[in-house]
Amino acid sequence: MSSVPAVSVEQLTRVFRVPGLRRREFTAVSDVSLEVQPGEVYGLIGPNGSGKSTTMKVLLGLLRATSGKCAIFGRDSARVDSREEVGYLPENPYFYKHLTGAETLEFYGKLCGLRGRELRERIGEMLALVDLEESRDRRLGGYSKGMLQRIGLAQAIIHRPRLVVLDEPTAGVDPLGSRQIRDLILELKRRGITVILSSHLLEQVQEVCDRIGIIFRGRMLREGSLAQITEVGNRSEIVLEGMTPELMEEIRALAAARGAKWIHDGHPRTTLETLFLEVTSAAAEAARASAGKS
Amino acid sequence: METAAPIRRHRSFSFGRVWTIATGTLTQLVRMKVFAFMAIFAVVLIGASFAFADLKTEQELKMLKDVSFAAIQLFCMLFAIAGTAMLIPRDVEDRTLYTILCKPVSRLEYLLGKLGGMVLVLVISLGAMDLLFTGVLHLKQRTVVEQNVAELEYRPFRSQEEREKAVAEIIEVATQQGASWNLQAGMAAILAKSIVLTAVTLLVSTFATSTLFTIMVSLALMVIGHAQGLAREVLLDEADGAVLPRLVAGGVAVLFPDFKTFDVLDAVITGTVVPGVEVLKMGGLCGIYCVLYMLAAWVLFADKEL
Repeated sequence: MSSVPAVSVEQLTRVFRVPGLRRREFTAVSDVSLEVQPGEVYGLIGPNGSGKSTTMKVLLGLLRATSGKCAIFGRDSARVDSREEVGYLPENPYFYKHLTGAETLEFYGKLCGLRGRELRERIGEMLALVDLEESRDRRLGGYSKGMLQRIGLAQAIIHRPRLVVLDEPTAGVDPLGSRQIRDLILELKRRGITVILSSHLLEQVQEVCDRIGIIFRGRMLREGSLAQITEVGNRSEIVLEGMTPELMEEIRALAAARGAKWIHDGHPRTTLETLFLEVTSAAAEAARASAGKS
Repeated sequence: METAAPIRRHRSFSFGRVWTIATGTLTQLVRMKVFAFMAIFAVVLIGASFAFADLKTEQELKMLKDVSFAAIQLFCMLFAIAGTAMLIPRDVEDRTLYTILCKPVSRLEYLLGKLGGMVLVLVISLGAMDLLFTGVLHLKQRTVVEQNVAELEYRPFRSQEEREKAVAEIIEVATQQGASWNLQAGMAAILAKSIVLTAVTLLVSTFATSTLFTIMVSLALMVIGHAQGLAREVLLDEADGAVLPRLVAGGVAVLFPDFKTFDVLDAVITGTVVPGVEVLKMGGLCGIYCVLYMLAAWVLFADKEL
Protein backbone atom coordinates (compact mmCIF):
# COMPACT_ATOMS: atom_id res chain seq x y z
CA MET A 1 0.00 0.00 0.00
CA SER A 2 1.27 3.47 -0.85
CA SER A 3 2.41 5.57 2.08
CA VAL A 4 0.65 8.66 0.69
CA PRO A 5 -3.00 8.67 1.78
CA ALA A 6 -5.63 9.07 -0.93
CA VAL A 7 -7.29 11.78 1.12
CA SER A 8 -5.94 13.70 4.03
CA VAL A 9 -8.04 16.29 5.86
CA GLU A 10 -6.30 18.04 8.71
CA GLN A 11 -8.17 20.19 11.23
CA LEU A 12 -10.54 21.50 8.62
CA THR A 13 -12.73 24.41 9.66
CA ARG A 14 -15.14 26.21 7.42
CA VAL A 15 -17.04 29.30 8.55
CA PHE A 16 -19.78 30.93 6.45
CA ARG A 17 -20.86 34.54 6.75
CA VAL A 18 -24.62 34.80 7.10
CA PRO A 19 -25.90 37.47 4.66
CA GLY A 20 -27.41 40.45 6.40
CA LEU A 21 -26.56 43.63 8.21
CA ARG A 22 -25.36 41.85 11.31
CA ARG A 23 -22.06 40.19 10.58
CA ARG A 24 -23.10 36.82 11.92
CA GLU A 25 -21.11 33.71 11.18
CA PHE A 26 -22.01 30.06 10.93
CA THR A 27 -19.48 27.29 11.44
CA ALA A 28 -20.39 24.45 9.09
CA VAL A 29 -17.31 22.32 9.78
CA SER A 30 -15.12 22.59 12.85
CA ASP A 31 -11.71 21.03 13.29
CA VAL A 32 -12.47 17.90 11.25
CA SER A 33 -9.62 15.52 10.49
CA LEU A 34 -9.75 12.29 8.53
CA GLU A 35 -7.52 10.13 6.41
CA VAL A 36 -8.51 7.68 3.70
CA GLN A 37 -6.02 5.13 2.42
CA PRO A 38 -5.83 4.15 -1.28
CA GLY A 39 -8.38 1.47 -2.19
CA GLU A 40 -10.59 2.11 0.85
CA VAL A 41 -14.29 2.87 0.78
CA TYR A 42 -14.92 5.56 3.39
CA GLY A 43 -18.42 6.44 4.55
CA LEU A 44 -19.16 9.90 5.88
CA ILE A 45 -22.47 9.80 7.69
CA GLY A 46 -24.47 12.36 9.59
CA PRO A 47 -27.85 14.09 9.59
CA ASN A 48 -28.77 16.86 7.15
CA GLY A 49 -26.74 20.01 7.68
CA SER A 50 -24.05 18.21 9.65
CA GLY A 51 -21.21 19.34 7.36
CA LYS A 52 -20.75 16.33 5.07
CA SER A 53 -21.28 18.20 1.79
CA THR A 54 -19.21 21.16 2.97
CA THR A 55 -16.31 18.82 3.80
CA MET A 56 -16.62 17.24 0.35
CA LYS A 57 -16.80 20.61 -1.40
CA VAL A 58 -13.64 21.82 0.33
CA LEU A 59 -11.97 18.56 -0.61
CA LEU A 60 -12.96 19.16 -4.24
CA GLY A 61 -11.84 22.79 -4.31
CA LEU A 62 -15.37 24.15 -4.69
CA LEU A 63 -15.09 25.92 -1.35
CA ARG A 64 -12.05 27.30 0.45
CA ALA A 65 -11.15 26.14 3.92
CA THR A 66 -11.27 28.84 6.59
CA SER A 67 -8.44 26.95 8.26
CA GLY A 68 -6.89 23.52 7.98
CA LYS A 69 -5.58 21.53 5.05
CA CYS A 70 -6.97 19.05 2.51
CA ALA A 71 -4.84 16.95 0.19
CA ILE A 72 -5.61 14.38 -2.49
CA PHE A 73 -2.80 11.88 -3.04
CA GLY A 74 -0.47 14.39 -1.41
CA ARG A 75 -1.50 17.34 -3.59
CA ASP A 76 -3.27 20.37 -2.14
CA SER A 77 -6.92 19.90 -3.06
CA ALA A 78 -7.32 23.62 -3.86
CA ARG A 79 -5.05 23.10 -6.88
CA VAL A 80 -6.80 22.38 -10.18
CA ASP A 81 -4.33 19.62 -11.05
CA SER A 82 -5.37 17.58 -7.98
CA ARG A 83 -8.69 17.01 -9.78
CA GLU A 84 -6.99 14.84 -12.39
CA GLU A 85 -7.29 12.14 -9.74
CA VAL A 86 -10.89 12.78 -8.65
CA GLY A 87 -14.35 11.95 -9.90
CA TYR A 88 -17.36 13.54 -8.21
CA LEU A 89 -21.06 12.87 -8.22
CA PRO A 90 -22.97 15.64 -6.42
CA GLU A 91 -26.26 15.14 -4.61
CA ASN A 92 -29.24 15.28 -7.00
CA PRO A 93 -27.26 16.35 -10.06
CA TYR A 94 -29.00 17.63 -13.16
CA PHE A 95 -26.70 17.31 -16.11
CA TYR A 96 -27.34 19.11 -19.38
CA LYS A 97 -30.80 17.85 -20.33
CA HIS A 98 -30.23 18.61 -24.00
CA LEU A 99 -27.37 16.10 -24.26
CA THR A 100 -27.76 12.36 -24.77
CA GLY A 101 -26.09 9.86 -22.44
CA ALA A 102 -23.19 9.32 -24.86
CA GLU A 103 -22.81 13.08 -25.50
CA THR A 104 -22.71 13.73 -21.75
CA LEU A 105 -19.84 11.28 -21.31
CA GLU A 106 -18.10 12.74 -24.36
CA PHE A 107 -18.37 16.25 -22.88
CA TYR A 108 -16.89 15.24 -19.51
CA GLY A 109 -14.32 12.96 -21.14
CA LYS A 110 -13.06 15.83 -23.28
CA LEU A 111 -12.78 18.06 -20.22
CA CYS A 112 -10.46 15.42 -18.78
CA GLY A 113 -8.30 15.41 -21.90
CA LEU A 114 -9.64 12.23 -23.52
CA ARG A 115 -9.91 12.34 -27.29
CA GLY A 116 -10.55 10.19 -30.37
CA ARG A 117 -10.59 6.41 -30.15
CA GLU A 118 -9.68 6.30 -26.46
CA LEU A 119 -12.66 8.51 -25.65
CA ARG A 120 -15.07 6.52 -27.84
CA GLU A 121 -13.98 3.25 -26.26
CA ARG A 122 -14.21 4.70 -22.79
CA ILE A 123 -17.77 5.96 -23.45
CA GLY A 124 -18.78 2.46 -24.55
CA GLU A 125 -17.17 0.88 -21.47
CA MET A 126 -18.82 3.33 -19.08
CA LEU A 127 -22.27 2.93 -20.63
CA ALA A 128 -21.90 -0.84 -20.33
CA LEU A 129 -20.71 -0.56 -16.73
CA VAL A 130 -23.72 1.50 -15.64
CA ASP A 131 -26.10 -0.52 -17.84
CA LEU A 132 -27.20 2.40 -20.03
CA GLU A 133 -26.12 1.13 -23.43
CA GLU A 134 -29.69 1.04 -24.70
CA SER A 135 -30.26 4.64 -23.63
CA ARG A 136 -27.01 6.04 -25.00
CA ASP A 137 -28.77 8.16 -27.65
CA ARG A 138 -31.63 9.33 -25.46
CA ARG A 139 -31.52 12.86 -24.13
CA LEU A 140 -31.03 13.15 -20.37
CA GLY A 141 -34.30 15.07 -20.11
CA GLY A 142 -36.02 11.71 -20.55
CA TYR A 143 -33.89 9.78 -18.02
CA SER A 144 -35.31 8.52 -14.72
CA LYS A 145 -33.75 9.51 -11.41
CA GLY A 146 -31.84 6.23 -11.15
CA MET A 147 -30.57 6.54 -14.72
CA LEU A 148 -29.36 10.08 -14.01
CA GLN A 149 -27.47 8.87 -10.96
CA ARG A 150 -25.88 6.10 -13.00
CA ILE A 151 -24.85 8.42 -15.85
CA GLY A 152 -23.54 10.72 -13.12
CA LEU A 153 -21.43 7.91 -11.77
CA ALA A 154 -20.19 7.13 -15.29
CA GLN A 155 -19.10 10.75 -15.86
CA ALA A 156 -17.38 10.73 -12.49
CA ILE A 157 -15.13 7.82 -13.48
CA ILE A 158 -14.77 8.43 -17.23
CA HIS A 159 -11.15 9.59 -16.79
CA ARG A 160 -10.17 6.62 -14.56
CA PRO A 161 -9.71 8.64 -11.36
CA ARG A 162 -8.01 7.12 -8.35
CA LEU A 163 -10.55 8.73 -6.00
CA VAL A 164 -14.34 8.93 -6.42
CA VAL A 165 -16.43 11.17 -4.19
CA LEU A 166 -20.14 10.33 -4.07
CA ASP A 167 -22.54 12.67 -2.28
CA GLU A 168 -25.81 10.88 -1.54
CA PRO A 169 -25.59 8.72 -4.67
CA THR A 170 -28.86 6.91 -3.91
CA ALA A 171 -30.95 9.92 -2.88
CA GLY A 172 -34.43 9.57 -4.35
CA VAL A 173 -33.60 6.32 -6.14
CA ASP A 174 -35.86 3.24 -5.76
CA PRO A 175 -34.47 0.09 -4.03
CA LEU A 176 -33.54 -1.61 -7.30
CA GLY A 177 -31.69 1.46 -8.58
CA SER A 178 -30.13 1.86 -5.18
CA ARG A 179 -28.90 -1.73 -5.28
CA GLN A 180 -27.41 -1.15 -8.75
CA ILE A 181 -25.50 1.86 -7.46
CA ARG A 182 -24.32 -0.15 -4.44
CA ASP A 183 -23.03 -2.84 -6.82
CA LEU A 184 -21.23 -0.18 -8.86
CA ILE A 185 -19.52 1.10 -5.72
CA LEU A 186 -18.41 -2.44 -4.90
CA GLU A 187 -17.13 -2.75 -8.48
CA LEU A 188 -15.08 0.43 -8.02
CA LYS A 189 -13.68 -1.03 -4.81
CA ARG A 190 -12.81 -4.23 -6.65
CA ARG A 191 -10.93 -2.13 -9.20
CA GLY A 192 -8.86 -0.57 -6.43
CA ILE A 193 -10.47 2.87 -6.64
CA THR A 194 -10.76 4.85 -3.42
CA VAL A 195 -14.32 5.93 -2.67
CA ILE A 196 -15.67 8.52 -0.28
CA LEU A 197 -19.38 8.09 0.18
CA SER A 198 -21.94 10.18 1.98
CA SER A 199 -25.35 8.61 2.43
CA HIS A 200 -28.41 8.52 4.65
CA LEU A 201 -28.90 4.82 3.90
CA LEU A 202 -26.91 3.53 6.83
CA GLU A 203 -27.48 -0.08 5.92
CA GLN A 204 -25.95 0.53 2.52
CA VAL A 205 -23.02 2.37 4.05
CA GLN A 206 -22.50 -0.60 6.34
CA GLU A 207 -22.54 -2.95 3.35
CA VAL A 208 -19.93 -1.18 1.25
CA CYS A 209 -17.69 0.85 3.53
CA ASP A 210 -14.41 -0.22 5.13
CA ARG A 211 -14.18 2.79 7.39
CA ILE A 212 -16.73 5.26 8.65
CA GLY A 213 -16.79 8.77 10.07
CA ILE A 214 -19.81 10.10 11.95
CA ILE A 215 -20.11 13.86 11.65
CA PHE A 216 -22.61 15.94 13.62
CA ARG A 217 -22.99 19.72 13.78
CA GLY A 218 -19.71 20.12 11.96
CA ARG A 219 -17.67 17.94 14.30
CA MET A 220 -16.32 14.45 13.75
CA LEU A 221 -17.76 12.40 16.61
CA ARG A 222 -16.52 8.91 15.81
CA GLU A 223 -14.18 7.49 13.20
CA GLY A 224 -12.78 4.07 12.51
CA SER A 225 -13.17 0.76 10.74
CA LEU A 226 -16.68 -0.65 10.48
CA ALA A 227 -15.82 -3.49 12.84
CA GLN A 228 -14.35 -1.13 15.45
CA ILE A 229 -17.07 1.43 15.28
CA THR A 230 -20.05 -0.94 15.44
CA GLU A 231 -18.67 -3.37 18.00
CA VAL A 232 -20.44 -3.44 21.39
CA GLY A 233 -17.48 -4.41 23.55
CA ASN A 234 -19.27 -5.89 26.56
CA ARG A 235 -21.72 -8.08 24.66
CA SER A 236 -21.34 -11.28 22.58
CA GLU A 237 -23.49 -12.83 19.90
CA ILE A 238 -23.88 -16.50 18.91
CA VAL A 239 -25.95 -17.59 15.90
CA LEU A 240 -26.79 -21.32 15.84
CA GLU A 241 -28.63 -23.45 13.35
CA GLY A 242 -30.69 -26.45 14.55
CA MET A 243 -31.28 -25.09 18.02
CA THR A 244 -33.70 -27.16 20.17
CA PRO A 245 -35.64 -25.83 23.20
CA GLU A 246 -33.69 -28.24 25.43
CA LEU A 247 -30.31 -26.98 24.21
CA MET A 248 -31.52 -23.42 24.69
CA GLU A 249 -32.45 -24.15 28.30
CA GLU A 250 -29.04 -25.72 28.92
CA ILE A 251 -27.22 -22.70 27.53
CA ARG A 252 -29.43 -20.34 29.58
CA ALA A 253 -28.70 -22.30 32.74
CA LEU A 254 -24.97 -22.33 32.03
CA ALA A 255 -24.94 -18.60 31.39
CA ALA A 256 -26.83 -17.93 34.64
CA ALA A 257 -24.50 -20.21 36.59
CA ARG A 258 -21.44 -18.31 35.29
CA GLY A 259 -22.96 -14.88 36.11
CA ALA A 260 -23.72 -13.72 32.53
CA LYS A 261 -26.92 -11.75 31.94
CA TRP A 262 -29.21 -13.12 29.19
CA ILE A 263 -30.26 -10.10 27.13
CA HIS A 264 -32.13 -11.45 24.16
CA ASP A 265 -32.81 -14.51 22.07
CA GLY A 266 -34.88 -15.02 18.92
CA HIS A 267 -34.59 -15.57 15.19
CA PRO A 268 -32.28 -13.33 13.13
CA ARG A 269 -34.25 -11.04 10.82
CA THR A 270 -33.58 -10.15 7.24
CA THR A 271 -33.63 -6.50 6.21
CA LEU A 272 -36.62 -4.97 4.49
CA GLU A 273 -34.38 -4.10 1.53
CA THR A 274 -33.20 -7.71 1.15
CA LEU A 275 -36.77 -9.02 1.52
CA PHE A 276 -38.04 -6.49 -1.06
CA LEU A 277 -35.33 -7.42 -3.53
CA GLU A 278 -35.89 -11.16 -3.00
CA VAL A 279 -39.65 -10.87 -3.51
CA THR A 280 -39.43 -8.61 -6.58
CA SER A 281 -36.62 -10.64 -8.15
CA ALA A 282 -38.62 -13.87 -7.64
CA ALA A 283 -41.72 -12.26 -9.16
CA ALA A 284 -39.69 -10.99 -12.12
CA GLU A 285 -38.15 -14.45 -12.56
CA ALA A 286 -41.59 -16.08 -12.49
CA ALA A 287 -42.92 -13.56 -15.02
CA ARG A 288 -39.97 -14.24 -17.33
CA ALA A 289 -40.47 -18.01 -16.96
CA SER A 290 -44.19 -17.84 -17.74
CA ALA A 291 -43.47 -15.56 -20.72
CA GLY A 292 -40.93 -18.11 -21.94
CA LYS A 293 -43.48 -20.95 -21.68
CA SER A 294 -46.21 -19.09 -23.55
CA MET B 1 -8.23 -5.89 -13.76
CA GLU B 2 -8.73 -2.29 -14.76
CA THR B 3 -7.43 0.21 -12.28
CA ALA B 4 -6.97 3.95 -12.19
CA ALA B 5 -5.23 5.70 -15.06
CA PRO B 6 -1.60 6.76 -14.86
CA ILE B 7 -1.27 10.36 -13.77
CA ARG B 8 -1.51 12.70 -16.76
CA ARG B 9 0.59 15.82 -16.92
CA HIS B 10 -1.77 18.69 -16.19
CA ARG B 11 -1.61 21.81 -18.29
CA SER B 12 -2.71 24.84 -16.29
CA PHE B 13 -4.49 26.27 -19.34
CA SER B 14 -5.92 24.28 -22.21
CA PHE B 15 -7.65 25.62 -25.31
CA GLY B 16 -9.07 22.12 -25.73
CA ARG B 17 -11.03 22.43 -22.47
CA VAL B 18 -12.17 25.97 -23.39
CA TRP B 19 -13.29 24.73 -26.80
CA THR B 20 -15.17 21.79 -25.22
CA ILE B 21 -17.12 24.16 -22.95
CA ALA B 22 -17.67 26.60 -25.84
CA THR B 23 -19.08 23.94 -28.18
CA GLY B 24 -21.13 22.54 -25.28
CA THR B 25 -22.63 26.00 -24.75
CA LEU B 26 -23.32 26.32 -28.47
CA THR B 27 -25.12 22.93 -28.49
CA GLN B 28 -27.08 23.95 -25.39
CA LEU B 29 -28.32 27.19 -26.96
CA VAL B 30 -29.00 25.59 -30.36
CA ARG B 31 -31.08 22.83 -28.74
CA MET B 32 -32.97 25.44 -26.72
CA LYS B 33 -34.10 26.65 -30.16
CA VAL B 34 -32.71 30.14 -29.67
CA PHE B 35 -32.36 30.58 -33.41
CA ALA B 36 -36.14 30.71 -33.65
CA PHE B 37 -35.86 34.47 -33.22
CA MET B 38 -34.39 34.63 -36.72
CA ALA B 39 -37.83 33.79 -38.12
CA ILE B 40 -39.04 37.09 -36.61
CA PHE B 41 -36.10 38.84 -38.25
CA ALA B 42 -36.97 37.30 -41.61
CA VAL B 43 -40.55 38.61 -41.30
CA VAL B 44 -39.27 42.11 -40.39
CA LEU B 45 -36.85 42.06 -43.31
CA ILE B 46 -39.34 40.86 -45.91
CA GLY B 47 -41.95 43.30 -44.60
CA ALA B 48 -39.43 46.16 -44.84
CA SER B 49 -38.55 45.22 -48.41
CA PHE B 50 -42.15 45.89 -49.47
CA ALA B 51 -42.83 48.82 -47.17
CA PHE B 52 -40.99 51.69 -48.85
CA ALA B 53 -41.96 51.18 -52.48
CA ASP B 54 -43.17 54.80 -52.92
CA LEU B 55 -39.80 56.33 -52.09
CA LYS B 56 -36.98 57.25 -54.43
CA THR B 57 -34.37 54.60 -55.36
CA GLU B 58 -31.80 55.90 -52.87
CA GLN B 59 -34.25 56.36 -50.01
CA GLU B 60 -35.92 53.02 -50.59
CA LEU B 61 -32.64 51.12 -50.27
CA LYS B 62 -31.51 53.31 -47.35
CA MET B 63 -34.73 52.61 -45.45
CA LEU B 64 -34.41 48.90 -46.05
CA LYS B 65 -30.85 49.01 -44.71
CA ASP B 66 -31.88 51.21 -41.79
CA VAL B 67 -34.70 48.93 -40.65
CA SER B 68 -32.67 45.76 -41.21
CA PHE B 69 -29.57 46.97 -39.37
CA ALA B 70 -31.73 48.21 -36.49
CA ALA B 71 -33.43 44.79 -36.27
CA ILE B 72 -30.13 42.87 -36.51
CA GLN B 73 -28.54 45.07 -33.84
CA LEU B 74 -31.51 44.80 -31.51
CA PHE B 75 -31.71 41.00 -31.88
CA CYS B 76 -27.99 40.49 -31.40
CA MET B 77 -27.65 42.75 -28.38
CA LEU B 78 -30.74 41.47 -26.60
CA PHE B 79 -29.70 37.93 -27.39
CA ALA B 80 -26.18 38.58 -26.06
CA ILE B 81 -27.70 39.71 -22.75
CA ALA B 82 -30.53 37.18 -22.39
CA GLY B 83 -28.49 34.20 -23.61
CA THR B 84 -25.48 34.95 -21.42
CA ALA B 85 -27.45 35.90 -18.31
CA MET B 86 -28.83 32.41 -17.83
CA LEU B 87 -25.64 30.42 -18.47
CA ILE B 88 -23.88 30.54 -15.09
CA PRO B 89 -26.99 30.71 -12.82
CA ARG B 90 -28.45 27.68 -14.56
CA ASP B 91 -25.23 25.69 -14.16
CA VAL B 92 -25.12 26.62 -10.45
CA GLU B 93 -28.81 25.83 -9.90
CA ASP B 94 -28.58 22.43 -11.61
CA ARG B 95 -25.24 21.65 -9.92
CA THR B 96 -23.78 21.06 -13.38
CA LEU B 97 -21.10 23.57 -12.47
CA TYR B 98 -19.90 21.26 -9.66
CA THR B 99 -19.40 18.38 -12.06
CA ILE B 100 -17.48 20.63 -14.48
CA LEU B 101 -15.25 22.34 -11.93
CA CYS B 102 -14.49 19.01 -10.26
CA LYS B 103 -12.79 17.98 -13.45
CA PRO B 104 -9.36 19.50 -14.04
CA VAL B 105 -10.97 22.68 -15.36
CA SER B 106 -9.97 26.08 -14.02
CA ARG B 107 -12.58 28.75 -13.44
CA LEU B 108 -10.94 30.94 -16.09
CA GLU B 109 -11.29 28.15 -18.66
CA TYR B 110 -14.94 27.77 -17.70
CA LEU B 111 -15.62 31.51 -18.15
CA LEU B 112 -13.74 31.68 -21.44
CA GLY B 113 -15.63 28.60 -22.66
CA LYS B 114 -18.95 30.25 -21.88
CA LEU B 115 -17.84 33.46 -23.65
CA GLY B 116 -16.58 31.41 -26.60
CA GLY B 117 -19.89 29.54 -26.86
CA MET B 118 -21.86 32.77 -26.93
CA VAL B 119 -19.48 34.23 -29.53
CA LEU B 120 -20.02 31.13 -31.71
CA VAL B 121 -23.80 31.53 -31.41
CA LEU B 122 -23.55 35.24 -32.24
CA VAL B 123 -21.30 34.61 -35.26
CA ILE B 124 -23.65 31.93 -36.61
CA SER B 125 -26.84 33.92 -36.06
CA LEU B 126 -25.30 37.17 -37.37
CA GLY B 127 -23.89 35.29 -40.36
CA ALA B 128 -27.31 33.85 -41.17
CA MET B 129 -29.01 37.26 -40.79
CA ASP B 130 -26.26 38.83 -42.89
CA LEU B 131 -26.80 36.31 -45.69
CA LEU B 132 -30.55 36.82 -45.62
CA PHE B 133 -30.25 40.60 -45.49
CA THR B 134 -27.64 40.80 -48.26
CA GLY B 135 -29.74 38.49 -50.43
CA VAL B 136 -32.91 40.53 -49.94
CA LEU B 137 -31.03 43.81 -50.49
CA HIS B 138 -29.45 42.45 -53.66
CA LEU B 139 -32.84 41.38 -55.03
CA LYS B 140 -34.37 44.71 -54.02
CA GLN B 141 -31.49 46.56 -55.72
CA ARG B 142 -32.10 44.68 -58.97
CA THR B 143 -35.86 45.20 -58.82
CA VAL B 144 -35.48 48.91 -58.10
CA VAL B 145 -33.04 49.38 -60.98
CA GLU B 146 -35.31 47.50 -63.38
CA GLN B 147 -38.36 49.50 -62.27
CA ASN B 148 -36.61 52.86 -62.52
CA VAL B 149 -35.08 52.08 -65.88
CA ALA B 150 -38.50 50.95 -67.13
CA GLU B 151 -40.00 54.25 -65.93
CA LEU B 152 -37.49 56.12 -68.11
CA GLU B 153 -39.39 54.85 -71.16
CA TYR B 154 -42.11 57.39 -70.39
CA ARG B 155 -39.71 60.31 -69.97
CA PRO B 156 -38.73 62.38 -72.96
CA PHE B 157 -34.99 62.56 -73.64
CA ARG B 158 -33.32 64.93 -76.05
CA SER B 159 -30.76 62.36 -77.04
CA GLN B 160 -29.78 58.72 -76.53
CA GLU B 161 -26.73 59.95 -74.66
CA GLU B 162 -28.91 61.76 -72.12
CA ARG B 163 -30.97 58.63 -71.59
CA GLU B 164 -27.87 56.49 -71.08
CA LYS B 165 -26.64 59.04 -68.55
CA ALA B 166 -29.91 58.74 -66.61
CA VAL B 167 -29.66 54.94 -66.61
CA ALA B 168 -26.05 55.14 -65.42
CA GLU B 169 -27.13 57.45 -62.59
CA ILE B 170 -29.79 55.01 -61.46
CA ILE B 171 -27.29 52.15 -61.51
CA GLU B 172 -24.67 54.22 -59.67
CA VAL B 173 -27.09 55.21 -56.90
CA ALA B 174 -28.35 51.64 -56.58
CA THR B 175 -24.80 50.27 -56.46
CA GLN B 176 -23.79 52.79 -53.81
CA GLN B 177 -26.82 52.03 -51.66
CA GLY B 178 -27.20 48.34 -52.46
CA ALA B 179 -25.44 45.16 -51.40
CA SER B 180 -21.70 45.74 -51.06
CA TRP B 181 -18.72 44.75 -48.93
CA ASN B 182 -19.25 47.99 -47.01
CA LEU B 183 -22.23 46.37 -45.31
CA GLN B 184 -19.84 43.94 -43.66
CA ALA B 185 -18.29 46.84 -41.73
CA GLY B 186 -21.71 47.37 -40.18
CA MET B 187 -22.03 43.68 -39.39
CA ALA B 188 -18.55 43.72 -37.82
CA ALA B 189 -19.60 46.65 -35.63
CA ILE B 190 -22.74 44.82 -34.46
CA LEU B 191 -20.73 41.67 -33.74
CA ALA B 192 -18.08 43.62 -31.80
CA LYS B 193 -20.74 45.40 -29.73
CA SER B 194 -22.56 42.14 -28.99
CA ILE B 195 -19.35 40.39 -27.94
CA VAL B 196 -18.49 43.25 -25.57
CA LEU B 197 -22.02 43.08 -24.17
CA THR B 198 -21.65 39.31 -23.72
CA ALA B 199 -18.43 39.84 -21.73
CA VAL B 200 -20.12 42.53 -19.60
CA THR B 201 -23.12 40.27 -18.92
CA LEU B 202 -20.83 37.38 -18.01
CA LEU B 203 -19.02 39.70 -15.57
CA VAL B 204 -22.34 40.75 -14.00
CA SER B 205 -23.53 37.15 -13.71
CA THR B 206 -20.45 36.20 -11.67
CA PHE B 207 -21.72 38.29 -8.76
CA ALA B 208 -25.44 38.53 -9.52
CA THR B 209 -27.95 36.76 -7.34
CA SER B 210 -30.46 36.03 -10.10
CA THR B 211 -30.87 35.91 -13.87
CA LEU B 212 -33.33 38.81 -13.73
CA PHE B 213 -30.80 40.97 -11.86
CA THR B 214 -28.16 40.15 -14.49
CA ILE B 215 -30.50 41.06 -17.34
CA MET B 216 -31.60 44.34 -15.75
CA VAL B 217 -28.04 45.45 -14.89
CA SER B 218 -26.74 44.47 -18.33
CA LEU B 219 -29.56 46.35 -20.07
CA ALA B 220 -28.71 49.40 -17.95
CA LEU B 221 -25.03 49.03 -18.91
CA MET B 222 -26.02 48.78 -22.57
CA VAL B 223 -27.90 52.09 -22.32
CA ILE B 224 -25.04 53.72 -20.37
CA GLY B 225 -22.59 52.37 -22.94
CA HIS B 226 -24.46 54.10 -25.75
CA ALA B 227 -24.72 57.41 -23.89
CA GLN B 228 -21.45 57.57 -22.01
CA GLY B 229 -19.41 59.06 -24.85
CA LEU B 230 -21.81 61.98 -25.03
CA ALA B 231 -21.94 62.36 -21.24
CA ARG B 232 -18.14 62.37 -21.11
CA GLU B 233 -17.90 65.10 -23.72
CA VAL B 234 -20.38 67.27 -21.82
CA LEU B 235 -18.58 66.63 -18.54
CA LEU B 236 -15.18 67.50 -19.97
CA ASP B 237 -16.52 70.60 -21.73
CA GLU B 238 -17.99 71.90 -18.50
CA ALA B 239 -15.00 70.84 -16.42
CA ASP B 240 -12.80 73.51 -17.93
CA GLY B 241 -9.64 71.78 -16.74
CA ALA B 242 -10.95 70.81 -13.26
CA VAL B 243 -9.50 67.51 -11.97
CA LEU B 244 -12.54 65.86 -10.38
CA PRO B 245 -14.83 65.89 -13.45
CA ARG B 246 -11.93 64.57 -15.51
CA LEU B 247 -11.39 61.74 -13.02
CA VAL B 248 -15.10 60.91 -13.03
CA ALA B 249 -15.11 60.94 -16.83
CA GLY B 250 -12.05 58.70 -16.92
CA GLY B 251 -13.58 56.31 -14.41
CA VAL B 252 -16.80 56.07 -16.37
CA ALA B 253 -14.81 55.42 -19.54
CA VAL B 254 -12.91 52.57 -17.90
CA LEU B 255 -15.86 50.97 -16.08
CA PHE B 256 -18.42 51.12 -18.85
CA PRO B 257 -17.98 50.16 -22.49
CA ASP B 258 -18.24 53.05 -24.92
CA PHE B 259 -20.54 51.66 -27.61
CA LYS B 260 -20.43 54.97 -29.50
CA THR B 261 -16.99 53.99 -30.80
CA PHE B 262 -18.64 51.08 -32.65
CA ASP B 263 -21.21 53.31 -34.35
CA VAL B 264 -20.43 53.04 -38.05
CA LEU B 265 -23.95 52.01 -38.98
CA ASP B 266 -25.04 55.54 -39.97
CA ALA B 267 -22.13 55.72 -42.41
CA VAL B 268 -22.90 52.26 -43.80
CA ILE B 269 -26.59 53.14 -44.24
CA THR B 270 -25.84 56.39 -46.06
CA GLY B 271 -23.44 54.52 -48.33
CA THR B 272 -20.23 56.10 -47.03
CA VAL B 273 -17.33 53.67 -47.29
CA VAL B 274 -15.94 52.67 -43.86
CA PRO B 275 -12.14 52.34 -44.10
CA GLY B 276 -10.64 48.95 -43.20
CA VAL B 277 -8.56 50.55 -40.48
CA GLU B 278 -11.79 51.58 -38.68
CA VAL B 279 -12.93 47.96 -38.69
CA LEU B 280 -9.56 46.90 -37.30
CA LYS B 281 -9.82 49.56 -34.59
CA MET B 282 -13.25 48.25 -33.60
CA GLY B 283 -11.88 44.71 -33.45
CA GLY B 284 -8.97 45.84 -31.28
CA LEU B 285 -11.22 47.79 -28.94
CA CYS B 286 -13.57 44.83 -28.67
CA GLY B 287 -10.59 42.63 -27.74
CA ILE B 288 -9.38 45.11 -25.09
CA TYR B 289 -12.84 45.35 -23.51
CA CYS B 290 -13.20 41.57 -23.51
CA VAL B 291 -9.81 41.06 -21.84
CA LEU B 292 -10.62 43.67 -19.16
CA TYR B 293 -14.10 42.36 -18.40
CA MET B 294 -13.04 38.72 -18.43
CA LEU B 295 -10.15 39.48 -16.04
CA ALA B 296 -12.60 41.20 -13.69
CA ALA B 297 -15.04 38.27 -14.06
CA TRP B 298 -12.23 35.82 -13.29
CA VAL B 299 -11.21 37.72 -10.14
CA LEU B 300 -14.82 37.66 -8.88
CA PHE B 301 -15.57 34.09 -9.99
CA ALA B 302 -12.33 32.67 -8.58
CA ASP B 303 -13.53 33.53 -5.06
CA LYS B 304 -17.17 32.66 -5.62
CA GLU B 305 -18.48 30.17 -3.09
CA LEU B 306 -20.27 27.35 -4.85
